[in-house]
Amino acid sequence: MAEDHHGSSRHMSASQKELGDEDARVVRVGDAERTNERLEFAGNAVRTAKYSPLTFLPRNLFEQFHRLAYVYFLVIAVLNQLPQLAVFGRGASVMPLAFVLIVTAVKDAYEDWRRHRSDRAENSRLAAVLSPGAGGGEFAPTEWNRVRVGDVVRVASDESLPADMVLLATSDPTGVAYVQTLNLDGESNLKTRYAKQETLTTPPEQLAGAAVIRCERPNRNIYGFTANLELEGGESRRIPLGPSNIVLRGCELKNTAWAVGVVVYAGRETKAMLNNAGAPSKRSRLETQMNRETLFLSAILVALCSVVAALSGVWLRNHEHDLELAQFFHKKDYVSDDGNGNYNYYGIAAQIVFAFLMAVIVFQIMIPISLYISMELVRLGQAYFMIRDTNLYDASSDTRFQCRSLNINEDLGQVRCVFSDKTGTLTQNKMEFRCASIEGVDYSDIARQQPVGEGDRIWVPKKMPVSVDREIVELLRNGGETEQGRHAREFFLALATCNTIVPLILDGPDPKRKIIDYQGESPDEQALVSAAAAYGFVLVERTSGHIVIDVLGEKQRFDVLGLHEFDSDRKRMSVIIGCPDKTVKLFVKGADNSMFGVIDKTMNPDVVRATEKHLHAYSSLGLRTLVIGMRELSQEEFQEWQMAYEKASTALLGRGGLLRGVAANIERNLRLLGASGIEDKLQDGVPEAIEKLRQAGIKVWVLTGDKQETAISIGFSCKLLTREMTQIVINSNSRDSCRKSLDDAISMVNKLRSLSTDSQARVPLALVIDGNSLVYIFDTDHEDKLFEVAIACDVVLCCRVAPLQKAGIVDLIKKRTSDMTLAIGDGANDVSMIQMADVGIGISGQEGRQAVMASDFAMGQFRFLVPLLLVHGHWNYQRMGYMILYNFYRNATFVFVLFWYVLHTGFTLTTAITEWSSVLYSVIYTAVPTIVVAILDKDLGRRTLLKYPQLYGAGQREESYNLRLFIFFMIDSIWQSLAVFFIPYLAYRKSTIDSASLGDLWTLAVVILVNIHLAMDVIRWNWITHAAIWGSIVATLICVMVIDSIPILPGFWAIYKVMGTGLFWALLLAVIVVGMVPHFVAKAIREHFLPNDIQIAREMEKSQDSHDVTHPEVQMNTMARA
Amino acid sequence: MPKYSKFTQQELPACKPILTPKWVVSVFFLVGIIFVPVGVVSLLAARDVVEIVDRYDDACVPANMTDNKLAYIQNPNISKDCTRTLTITEDMKQPIFVYYQLDNFYQNHRRYVKSRNDGQLRDAAKANQTSACEPEKTTADGKPIVPCGLIAWSLFNDTYSFTRGNENLTVDKKDISWKSDREHKFGKNVYPSNFQNGLLKGGGTLDPAIPLSEQEDLIVWMRTAALPTFRKLYGRIYVDLKKNDTITVRLSNNYNTYNFGGKKKLVLSTATWLGGKNDFLGFAYVIVGGLCFFLAFAFTLLYFIKPRKLGDHNYLSWNRHPAGR
Repeated sequence: MAEDHHGSSRHMSASQKELGDEDARVVRVGDAERTNERLEFAGNAVRTAKYSPLTFLPRNLFEQFHRLAYVYFLVIAVLNQLPQLAVFGRGASVMPLAFVLIVTAVKDAYEDWRRHRSDRAENSRLAAVLSPGAGGGEFAPTEWNRVRVGDVVRVASDESLPADMVLLATSDPTGVAYVQTLNLDGESNLKTRYAKQETLTTPPEQLAGAAVIRCERPNRNIYGFTANLELEGGESRRIPLGPSNIVLRGCELKNTAWAVGVVVYAGRETKAMLNNAGAPSKRSRLETQMNRETLFLSAILVALCSVVAALSGVWLRNHEHDLELAQFFHKKDYVSDDGNGNYNYYGIAAQIVFAFLMAVIVFQIMIPISLYISMELVRLGQAYFMIRDTNLYDASSDTRFQCRSLNINEDLGQVRCVFSDKTGTLTQNKMEFRCASIEGVDYSDIARQQPVGEGDRIWVPKKMPVSVDREIVELLRNGGETEQGRHAREFFLALATCNTIVPLILDGPDPKRKIIDYQGESPDEQALVSAAAAYGFVLVERTSGHIVIDVLGEKQRFDVLGLHEFDSDRKRMSVIIGCPDKTVKLFVKGADNSMFGVIDKTMNPDVVRATEKHLHAYSSLGLRTLVIGMRELSQEEFQEWQMAYEKASTALLGRGGLLRGVAANIERNLRLLGASGIEDKLQDGVPEAIEKLRQAGIKVWVLTGDKQETAISIGFSCKLLTREMTQIVINSNSRDSCRKSLDDAISMVNKLRSLSTDSQARVPLALVIDGNSLVYIFDTDHEDKLFEVAIACDVVLCCRVAPLQKAGIVDLIKKRTSDMTLAIGDGANDVSMIQMADVGIGISGQEGRQAVMASDFAMGQFRFLVPLLLVHGHWNYQRMGYMILYNFYRNATFVFVLFWYVLHTGFTLTTAITEWSSVLYSVIYTAVPTIVVAILDKDLGRRTLLKYPQLYGAGQREESYNLRLFIFFMIDSIWQSLAVFFIPYLAYRKSTIDSASLGDLWTLAVVILVNIHLAMDVIRWNWITHAAIWGSIVATLICVMVIDSIPILPGFWAIYKVMGTGLFWALLLAVIVVGMVPHFVAKAIREHFLPNDIQIAREMEKSQDSHDVTHPEVQMNTMARA
Repeated sequence: MPKYSKFTQQELPACKPILTPKWVVSVFFLVGIIFVPVGVVSLLAARDVVEIVDRYDDACVPANMTDNKLAYIQNPNISKDCTRTLTITEDMKQPIFVYYQLDNFYQNHRRYVKSRNDGQLRDAAKANQTSACEPEKTTADGKPIVPCGLIAWSLFNDTYSFTRGNENLTVDKKDISWKSDREHKFGKNVYPSNFQNGLLKGGGTLDPAIPLSEQEDLIVWMRTAALPTFRKLYGRIYVDLKKNDTITVRLSNNYNTYNFGGKKKLVLSTATWLGGKNDFLGFAYVIVGGLCFFLAFAFTLLYFIKPRKLGDHNYLSWNRHPAGR
């Protein structure tokens, strides 16, 4: 945090010059009209809805036709309307497209209606706005959408802020306001914001019109704000404003009775809204690959059409002289006026073009339009099952699984790389004080823990540790003046004082007992202060000048004489405290490596050594460790410091550096007090989940804002890092050293690689890299080197990374490999990474909703990743992959059957199959089974998939959908179409068969064949599958019968007639058997002689099942264990 | 908490068939056992059919006009009568079906197959409904043709009569069309009008006094054939024919197929349950059945040569390559 302040102040000085030119936004306080004279600022109404009733139809259609496939079908439908090309009747040709469009439009309309509703609710909330005209300066309630830039708004405690505002005044005399940014960045602790001293004293109605704010243009950086305030009137002054002076829309005011601010950004220009800019819509990899196969299919389609067109040209040329008199052609139109014109004949060239276009119309379903709607339905079904899965339900927070994006379900089955946030994702983000080492004595023995005796306490911290160490309590109570007792007291005094925590006193149910809520930016500090409270050192009050601590029942006042904030260079913080006994003490706490540098090791080397040992033990347990030291300052020393401190803090240039120097000067020769171990509890099942993911061949990268030591220790505790791993650590402060360590790392990787040629003895590698080094690497184009190191490592741990760097790291992998990436996180700082990754998952836990809002899927616990990927992901991928292939195959088979027939009609695109059957084929005859199977079929059961995580590799290796499978399916499709066409053809050659009867036979044969093909590939038959597949065949028969019962269609009664002949049934059987034999043989060979893992696992599952039937009690046991 | 049900948890009771060797071999055997006998029976049935085919389009052209067949057929003054003699090769049991066969006649040509109006055929009130009937829609003066369209216009009009010695073999031309067509598709009160009055004659004429539902030749003709070589039923002879009988066919060779190189054939055939003389189905069944037997044996052999224990986890890829552990 300190770093941020520092950075932004530097930026500010640079950008201060830029402000003031036309880039800046000028806000006249309290004068919204003049502020927005040019009407260039957005109002405060937010609008997330896409359509209005008027624009719905054109816009929705426009958006839908962004899908190239829809344009294709539209073009075909239009072509079909031309009289020369009218292959199908009007209704039959438009119906499928219309159906798809209407279904999608209804879905979109419903979604938009819900957005409209939430917009209305948001816009009609009320805020108190200073009405400019009124003399007294009344704050009148105004709807949020009427709040304008320049308005002065008053917000009361616990109210949400309607827009981004610069604070003018607050109820606190020093101008402090506390805001909760939960909705914005997900951090639940309170942040302090300040009103400028200059505006604090002036009543807002006087400020109105007298003050002008120049601020930067709206941007999405929630941590940055650059502006200055010009007060007109007596003396014209410029007061710089920074991020600590602005409160943002979406935040809530807390613990501050009221605050008054002036709106600078409103509505869609607020930082919250700019950050909300919808996630870019993602497309699943399968769908992208599908486009490739769609191109192949288009090529086949063009080829078929060209063949037909060319042959029709040849045919026409050969018969040129016959056509006039041939009864079936009747080239001349004798009825027309001159009696010599041609009827519907425009010369060979034109006929070829017509033949081509007509062929496109007839063979159009080669590109399966119904596939798109099927995919949406299947994804909906898959989402339904994911949401309903009890294994993805988090009982502790009552959150279900959420599918926020419906486009990438199947990507879950192909993930190779998981990028995880740490705090709140792997851990619960609930810090707890675990153990301490005081004066070289370790107090971490669990056996000695006792519950916190609440007894006669007056002050009860809200988040009290549950137990305390009996021995320490003893020591503190009765240790009296022993050395050990004194040290223990000082240790806890240090914990209670050396922090920036603000205690808030709440009224509990018991009037004698006050509940204290410790608010602060660091959860670690909260844990330490709570721990100190549990041991009897209760921080009760903090003002800027002093703190009050209840020391073992006795209230004592300590003056805070100075405070050196934490910064990432020193990695420690310190306070200078004036104690009641008039001594001045310096308490320092910080990371162990920085602290041991400033501790006087000569004082008591045994203690130092013992503490170091304890620290190592703590961090091996995955605890976050802090070392605490102190020094008593002499009067001279203190005065010397005070002078330096004052000089530094009033310096205009390089204030930060000077202050750091002062701190470093005083923080030395410390006496080691002890060390603390804080546990950030892992979420349930995280180590097991990571282990499973690793077994599944998924690389897990952890990206955290934490410091390196903590990250490593958490890495150990969640089994990401293991003792046998070789760690490569890169943390550099400069470009050159960074490059050097990167080169070292590469040579090390190469050396290890050459050393261990056989993979068994390979040393696992772990890369630990920090944010600064990443900055240098991304700046200096060493990304390739980093990538080289990173992919050689089994584990990558990035610590101290900024949100955007997280996205950069994900991008690094995404750009350079084809690996599917998944990012999982819970806070606002993970948003960029979640949006960057192929799959983004939000944890809806402690922190706010930002990550969830940006995610594709959201769930309650990290460990749900395992069933999500290994079970649902696997199923989704396998199902979707098969469905796409099957759809291609199914439509191609039909098209090829049509094609063979066209070759026997003088290449004139006649179909024996009725046009209604052609249209209904992919919509009714064969659509339901594929959808049902793609939603319900399971290649393997949940238990098997979880037991053998390696089975996940099937998705990573793209086993369910690839070019080879596509080609196999196409060959099968050609073979089956040959069987369907030529067996009846050869049997009915030179017979009295009419085209309607033969068409009906072909229709039934192809429908039965593709359904049996599907049936052969179904793995689990439940009653729904049976109903869908056999029902479809029956439905087809019924449809054909209905069509043949219409007397004005040429094919009237054909099906009844032809079904009465034995030949029909004999041919149907022959077609099915001949069509299926190759597929059956291939399947038998593949499954028995070239089994893949899934096949083996299926057989294992099957034998397990039969075992369970004979030994039901065993099954019960395994269930209980699972 | 989402409600638990077997459906939502995707745990519906299901059958999980696996293609075990037993299954594969039994399926092939079963198919073989069904197919070979059916094939043999079909072959025998097809053998029983006696079929006599006589191509007469060339033979009926007078010798002096073989160079210009078109002129022959287009000249109304030349008699189209022609006599053919057929010798019966095997005994033929009645009923004997008389077909005419056209080769290279694209009754499935798009221009042709669309050129009809089924509404008009059915309903006398819709005589004016001639849409889709182009180019034989109306007469030159705009009167609607009933039945309109190319199909009706091109009605086949060769006729045959048969004698054995002196015995006249009556051809029964009743009931040669589909009953459903006569009753529902072609109206009982729809009479031909303005038919075959154009400049170009496509084929036969119709008696305007007979309703369409009784014009069986037209009904048969309008059931358009699926393939460019097709037969249509002309009539039946209810007389048994003996081997070596000589049949004299007197035919009038009216129909013009010379313009596009089409062939005309007369066919006399008996029929079985499988239809006409086509042993393709029998051969197909025998071959497929035989192939299935072969596959059954081949798979049995393969399973013996390379057996694999089902569900053996040693076959899992990560167990197969110990390095991957």
